[in-house]
Amino acid sequence: MNELAIDSKDLTKTYGSIRAVGGINLSVPRGAIYGFLGRNGAGKTTTIKMLLGLTRPTAGTAKVFGMDVSAECMAILRRTAFVSEKKTLYPSLTASELVRFSRGFYPTWSDSAVEKYARLLEIPMKQRFEKLSNGNQTKVWLLLALSQGADLLILDEPTTALDPVSVDQLLHVLAEDGLDRGCTIFFSSHQLEEVERIAEYAGVIDRGKLLLESRLDDIKSEFRLITAAGNSLPTQTSPQVLSVVTEGNFYRYVVTKDADSFASGLSQNGATITNVATLSLREIFLQLVRKEQ
Amino acid sequence: MYFWKCWRDTRSFFIVFLIIAAIVMPVAAIVCVGTHLVEDFGTSAFSTTFGLILTAVALGLGAVGAIHEFADKTAHFLFTKPRSRAYFVWAGWAVGLAELAAVAAVNFLAGWATLSHYSKNPFHSALHGSMTAQNFLDDLIFCIWAYCLTYSLTVLLRNGLKGLGASMAILFGLPFFAAAVRWRWHIDLPLFPGLPLGSLPLVVSNIIWILIAMFFVLAAQLVVERAEM
Repeated sequence: MNELAIDSKDLTKTYGSIRAVGGINLSVPRGAIYGFLGRNGAGKTTTIKMLLGLTRPTAGTAKVFGMDVSAECMAILRRTAFVSEKKTLYPSLTASELVRFSRGFYPTWSDSAVEKYARLLEIPMKQRFEKLSNGNQTKVWLLLALSQGADLLILDEPTTALDPVSVDQLLHVLAEDGLDRGCTIFFSSHQLEEVERIAEYAGVIDRGKLLLESRLDDIKSEFRLITAAGNSLPTQTSPQVLSVVTEGNFYRYVVTKDADSFASGLSQNGATITNVATLSLREIFLQLVRKEQ
Repeated sequence: MYFWKCWRDTRSFFIVFLIIAAIVMPVAAIVCVGTHLVEDFGTSAFSTTFGLILTAVALGLGAVGAIHEFADKTAHFLFTKPRSRAYFVWAGWAVGLAELAAVAAVNFLAGWATLSHYSKNPFHSALHGSMTAQNFLDDLIFCIWAYCLTYSLTVLLRNGLKGLGASMAILFGLPFFAAAVRWRWHIDLPLFPGLPLGSLPLVVSNIIWILIAMFFVLAAQLVVERAEM
C-alpha cells in the first residue's frame, strides 16, 4: 500500500509564459497534518487545484492515495474534502440547505458531525449564506468539509476571516478529531503560528518552487542563528548559510545543516561564538523566502 | 442533491409560468362568454398562446436553469463533488426540460378542456380551419430547440442574460439570414426547427432537429469538462 496520501513528481502548471508551479515534488504521509506554507501567489492554490482536478497539470504527475489526479479524479474526490480559498457558496441557500445539498454526494457523510460542528462553531444554520458574516461563511465551508467523513482534508487558507476563538476551535478540531479518524490534513496557509501549532510536516513553496519539505521538528532543529564576534569574518551566503547580518564586530548567521561544524569553522578563524539559537518557523520561512528573492 | 438544487433555482419561474399556462385559456374563454369569439378564434388563440408561452418558458428556463457556477464563483465547490461535470450539465438540462414538458402538458390540457367545454369541435374553427396534434408537436420541437440553444449559450457564455441575448439574436436573426442567402445564392435554408428539412419526411426532420439541439448541450458539456478553475 502506498504510504503517501499525496505524492507529486515534477508537478508543473504554466499559464502562458507564467510559471505558477514549477515542478514540485510533494510527499504527504497518510494520517499526517501537513502545513503548506507560502506567500500570496506562491503557487499554493494552483497546486491544490491540480490535486483536485480543477485544473490540469502542464507537466508532471500527482497521485492522491496512489490514484492519478488526471485519470482517477472521481475516486479521489469521493475521499477528499475541500475548503476553498474563495469562500463563496450558493448565496440563496441556508447552511442547512447546503448540508442537504452536499450530503447526497458522500456515502460517508455524518449528520452527527454536522450537529456537533454547527454547535461547536456556532453556525446559524437557518440563515442564507449571503447574509452570513465572512467568518460564518468560512465556518460553513469547514462544517461541510468536516462532516463529509473524508480520508483527506484539503484546506486552502481555512482560517481566513475567522476570529481568534474560532481559529483556536478549528485547530483543536483538526488536531483532535482529524487525527482520531486517521484523516490526512493538508492545509495551506501563511499564518505560520497556526501551522506551527498543529502541523507535523511542513512544505514551503515560493514562486512555484518547493523550497523545503520535512517534518516540522526536523526543520526547526536544522536551522540555527549563530551570533559571532570577530574581525573580517565571512559574509558570503551559500547553500548552508542563508543570510549574514553584520553589526560592527558582530555577525549573525542563519545556517542550515550542520550548524556546529560551521560554528567551529568560525572559531578557527578567530571568532568568538556568543550565541547559537534555534529559529521559529516564521523566522525560517522568512529566511528561505528572502534567500530565494 | 443537484437535481434538488436545479429545481430550487428554477421553481419560481416554473410555477409562475405553470399558472399562466393553466389559466390563460380558461380566463380568455370566461371573458368571452356570450360571444362567438371562442367558436371563431378559440383554436387559433389556443395555438398562438401555446407557442408563445412555451417559447418564453424555453428561453427563460434555458437562461435560469443552466449551471451558473462560473458566474457565481461556486465552480470550485460543485466541481470538487464526486460527480462528473457532464452529470451537472445534463442534470440541469433534464430538470429544465421536464419543467418545459410540464408547462406544455398543462397548457395543452387546459386549452383542450376549455375549448371542449365552450366549443363543439375543440380543434377546428370556421375561420382558421383544423388544428392537428402535429401543430402542437412542431411548436414543442421548436421550443425544445430554443431551450437547448439558450441553455448551451448560457453555459458557454457563463451568464444567463448573455446566453438569453445570444439565443434570441440567433432565433430572430435566422429568418433574415435565410432570406439573405435565398436572395443572394437562391438557396433555401431550413428555417425553423419543427419544419421539414428539404424533402425529408417531417418525422425524420424533427428527429434531426432534436439531435441538433442535443448537440448544443453536448458542446456545452465538452466546454465545461475542459474548463479550468
